[in-house]
Amino acid sequence: MAETWTIGVDVGGTFTDLCAIESASGRIALNKVSSTPANPAEAIIAGLDALAEKAGFDLGDVRAIGHGTTVATNALIQRTGAKVAMVTTRNFRDLVEIGRQIRPKMYDLKADFPPPLAPRHLRFEVDERIGADGAVVEPLDMASVDAVIESLRAEQVEAVAIAFLFAYLNPAHEQAVKARLVAALPGVAVSASSDVMPEFREYERSSTTLLNAYLQPAFAQYMHTLQAEVATRSPKSSLGVNQSSGGLMSVGTAREFPIRTAMSGPAAGANGAIHTAMQSGVANVITFDVGGTSADVALIRNRSIGLAFDRDVADFPVRMPMVDINTVGAGGGSLAWFDRDGLMKVGPASAGARPGPACYGRGGDQATVTDANVVLGRLSTSGLLGGDMSLDVEASFRVVGRVAGQLGCTVETAARGILDVMAANMVRAIRAISVERGHDPRDFVLMPFGGAGPLHAEACARALGIAQILVPLSPGILCAQGLLVAGRSESLVRSQRIALTPAAGPTLEALAEEMRREADQWFEAEAIPANERSATLVADMRYISQNYELQIPVTGALTDLETLRQSFFEAHARAYGFFNADDPVEVMALRLTPQGARPEIGSPPGRATASRVPQPKSRRPVWFSGSQALDTPVYDRDDLAAGTELTGPAVIDQFDSTLLLFPGDLVRVDGARNILITRGETEL
Amino acid sequence: MTLHDTLTAATATASDGPDAITVEIVASAFRSVVDETFIALMKSAYSTNIKERHDHSTAICDRAGRLIVQAEMSLPIHLASMTGLMQAVLTRYAPEDIREGDIFVANDPHVAGGTHLPDINYAAPIFVDGRLLGFVCNIAHHADIGGMVPGSMAGGMSEIYQEGLRIPVVRLFRAGELQQDILDLLLLNARIPQERRGDHFAQIAACRLGLRRVGEIAERYGAALIEQVWDSLLTRTHARMRAAIAGLPDGVYRFEDVMDDDGCGTSDIPIRLEITVTGDRAVFDLRGSAPQVKGNINLTRNAAKAAVAYALRTLLDPEIANNEGILDCCELLTEPGSIVDCIAPAPVAQRLNTSQRLVDVIIGALAPALPDAAVGASNGANTTAVFSGIDPRNGRPYLYLETLGGGAGGRSDRDGKDGVQVHITNTSNLPIEAIETEYPLRVVSYGFVEDSGGAGRYRGGAGLRRVIAPVEHDCTFNGAGERFAHAPWGIFGGTEGRPGRFVLTGPEGETVLVAKPSAVPLRRDQAVIVETPGSGGYGTPAERSAGAVAEDALSGKYTAAFLDRNYPAQRRG
Repeated sequence: MAETWTIGVDVGGTFTDLCAIESASGRIALNKVSSTPANPAEAIIAGLDALAEKAGFDLGDVRAIGHGTTVATNALIQRTGAKVAMVTTRNFRDLVEIGRQIRPKMYDLKADFPPPLAPRHLRFEVDERIGADGAVVEPLDMASVDAVIESLRAEQVEAVAIAFLFAYLNPAHEQAVKARLVAALPGVAVSASSDVMPEFREYERSSTTLLNAYLQPAFAQYMHTLQAEVATRSPKSSLGVNQSSGGLMSVGTAREFPIRTAMSGPAAGANGAIHTAMQSGVANVITFDVGGTSADVALIRNRSIGLAFDRDVADFPVRMPMVDINTVGAGGGSLAWFDRDGLMKVGPASAGARPGPACYGRGGDQATVTDANVVLGRLSTSGLLGGDMSLDVEASFRVVGRVAGQLGCTVETAARGILDVMAANMVRAIRAISVERGHDPRDFVLMPFGGAGPLHAEACARALGIAQILVPLSPGILCAQGLLVAGRSESLVRSQRIALTPAAGPTLEALAEEMRREADQWFEAEAIPANERSATLVADMRYISQNYELQIPVTGALTDLETLRQSFFEAHARAYGFFNADDPVEVMALRLTPQGARPEIGSPPGRATASRVPQPKSRRPVWFSGSQALDTPVYDRDDLAAGTELTGPAVIDQFDSTLLLFPGDLVRVDGARNILITRGETEL
Repeated sequence: MTLHDTLTAATATASDGPDAITVEIVASAFRSVVDETFIALMKSAYSTNIKERHDHSTAICDRAGRLIVQAEMSLPIHLASMTGLMQAVLTRYAPEDIREGDIFVANDPHVAGGTHLPDINYAAPIFVDGRLLGFVCNIAHHADIGGMVPGSMAGGMSEIYQEGLRIPVVRLFRAGELQQDILDLLLLNARIPQERRGDHFAQIAACRLGLRRVGEIAERYGAALIEQVWDSLLTRTHARMRAAIAGLPDGVYRFEDVMDDDGCGTSDIPIRLEITVTGDRAVFDLRGSAPQVKGNINLTRNAAKAAVAYALRTLLDPEIANNEGILDCCELLTEPGSIVDCIAPAPVAQRLNTSQRLVDVIIGALAPALPDAAVGASNGANTTAVFSGIDPRNGRPYLYLETLGGGAGGRSDRDGKDGVQVHITNTSNLPIEAIETEYPLRVVSYGFVEDSGGAGRYRGGAGLRRVIAPVEHDCTFNGAGERFAHAPWGIFGGTEGRPGRFVLTGPEGETVLVAKPSAVPLRRDQAVIVETPGSGGYGTPAERSAGAVAEDALSGKYTAAFLDRNYPAQRRG
């Protein structure tokens, strides 16, 4: 029998989600197991076995497994990585501790950035120096390297990061030291900055390399177990690990570069969103994924997500291509509170999973966003997760009532206030990735996912002037689904400062050609068939005196510098509102992203009893914007067949989420059974 | 905070204008605008100071020139300049004389509310339905504004005329029309004019962006509600700060410290402070401070006020919003013609060193009342190093200016931070790979200064050492340091930190330079060592844990001799 199953596995700190699909029938199987932080591969294997048994298929019939993971990020947050040392250029061991010499909060004398993961006595220096033109200023002194090796051995370190000045231009010294260390210290993980992130700016590069080394030993163990166990069960399956930039990488690459998984989970969610958008024929989408404590927002344009290159992970700077996702402390558990000046705030403090919102009945006694939704009748009183968890409605009224008492208004007005303030926080986050990047949100469709996303979509869409909302078939498992449809990809970069003069053409072309050759090797190594290969080329550009680059897609020949210059001007005008046609422009880096095609998967079949004229399963009073609650029909999402059209007000319940239709909203269930809402005019 | 406190706060303000939810939501929209313009200015500017070191701020003021909202990353020192510019604009121009499309520019500390010349202030009036609502403002530190020395920041100048171009309030745009002659005048008076042009364009674009965004908010909420929200914000912030001051025990708090020198012959310059707290008012009397000096470390009254505002917020309520509501609480008594309230033509370029010292003095004064919030004296400086010359790679003039952090004082519950910007400034360093790519310079070393953080239960943070050499050419070095003579003091028994110094090093050996070196020739075989001050410790050294002392030894930040001398018991034990 042919291998027909594809599986997505998303490992979180608490749960490991699995989602499998059979390509011919579109049949879907889901499983959720507790994560096993000591060796995360154990939960994956147990979950796979249980999933196959439950759904009645043979793991030998699996053709591909896509894996998303927060293991690296959690290890950073919880500081459970290796004993790590660092080797730097002579006189620069303090660089990674000084950072940018700034403090995180201007007015808070007690707030510090965290100290580096390698303490000062484990940061060693060697004699070497490369200059700004890449030439050797001081040759590498191997005697100084050998002295460091002795210290590393004495300290019994488990991992070493090597970061020299200008190694992105000339990696020779770093590579020589790496080779010497690997030979002398078997079993010790070694990361060199010229491998991890060969880009300009020494502090960010050093920090990224240090984090990578810190993660390597445990991550390698995890990858090793995973690969071996999968090979036993599903010998014909490919295994890919989702990276922060969105595509899958091989297990070997993940073992070398665990820091590339820092945004693995959110990148999978973005990929799931792109898949949903493609199914529904939509090109431009703003996503927002609302969980218990935070919301992730992202912008998808022409079915692709933008990349950001600088981000803090566990308060450390990381420079890497990563999906451009903005996170804000606004979720279902976010607490409503009054600041000292009497203004009402919501979040970032959260009731979390324990005690959770008051309505969970686990001792929460402060009003949360979820309690506000309960008060307004927006969440089903019979509870979440298909009724597995019932809610204490009175507790919600009690805590939101206290907020109302302080404001001197009704409990429903207070509840709406909580949701409005939460929406204002999310709107700021969405503006940061849309308006502030030169994109008008009104040109986008809003796509909520995560358990709580669909409840808050309308308020955000209203504030941003967005007309349509697209709700995926299964908003709660979009991340695991995103792994089913992820293709392979690799990020190549050449960081070099090149003024955009006529002489630049051949230089740029030569760098691009080098990367194309590397890309071909990668395609071969990943066994990607010729007809599934593609690659995108981007130039990081800026005015010669600026310090921030814009990413300019290269569509024509690299020797056509005039087109490149014009594209930069257009991008500058879009981003900053102006450009100077007379000022000199330079390229700071070229980036080539080779990728394999995305796997095709079918749509799952609907429930046999679904209808285009579904009957509500119940009715209940729900508060929208008016002064009265409206008697509102409640539908089960599984009862809605493709082609169904409804008009709000209505509530649509499903296993992992609740969807709210405001009065006047028009709903259409499309062929992929995603729900497209066209907002009524009344709310503007 | 107890439930009772929140109830009181909410009810105290509930009757004043719009409700707590509306104010929060509308205010959130304005916070978005100033943050967005802050980032746009940073990313599109050409000056290193702005693009990499974030020495700029953005804000919105109301029609009366009151500061309403400032970007989260804005600098405290810029708080006062913005309102200073507004007062200058509103004094100079009648409301009917201000038109849509105007953009005002100014920098002068003596006639236009500025605090030093390189900070160029921009303000663009916001009109809604033909009526003036307020102003969108930004301020940015240009890498040069002309004057005697490149960078316009070095010591040795005795009149503001030597420090660069003085811009009173001028209209760079009239009703949307660029006044090219004024722009030409601004550019002709700065070194490297094409770079300055890029900075001006970035500031203009940030104004326009802000205007567009405020216009969108006005379309949604209307000018009337916006004005109510603004009033409510100021009222609420003011009440909140007053309440925090009321938490201080009534009484008179005194402190005094001494500045090193002004670079022009005056040394040991006292700053004396007496704070009288009565109920919810605190009066800061600085009238015992030195007369203004010939050198460029004078503060305008505005700049002194910014330091007071910073200290109040930091010590009493770090989370409070920055707006006029705080400035209104800063009651200052100063003597015109003194170092904290200078009059023309006093030079002011290095006023930040004095601002830093004023903050130390305020913390020193209030420490007995606020032992948990107070910290040891920090590096108390804004150590500035400027290298300039002709780049041998292309024959063009270059100018590299950097301000370095140092030690941050020991705290009530932990050590002071090593090598960081403190108090009134928070500008980043420039990456070494950026310095060496852009300028013909080599960074020879960069690290912490040994034994520079004072001892204590919680030690002071270490100063920074950076060594810079010219590559294949001779160049010029200018610098400005403070706390090079008067060390940063410890608090509650903590010992003092090590002072800073500039050293010229070369084949002939090392020469210690003055604290404010001006136009020092630097040969290709020489280098400059910049060592910034450390900071004072908190609590007596005897109280430091043996584990922490062992950590000091292991880290190599201290010598055995220092540790033996300061922690004899822990070292023996």
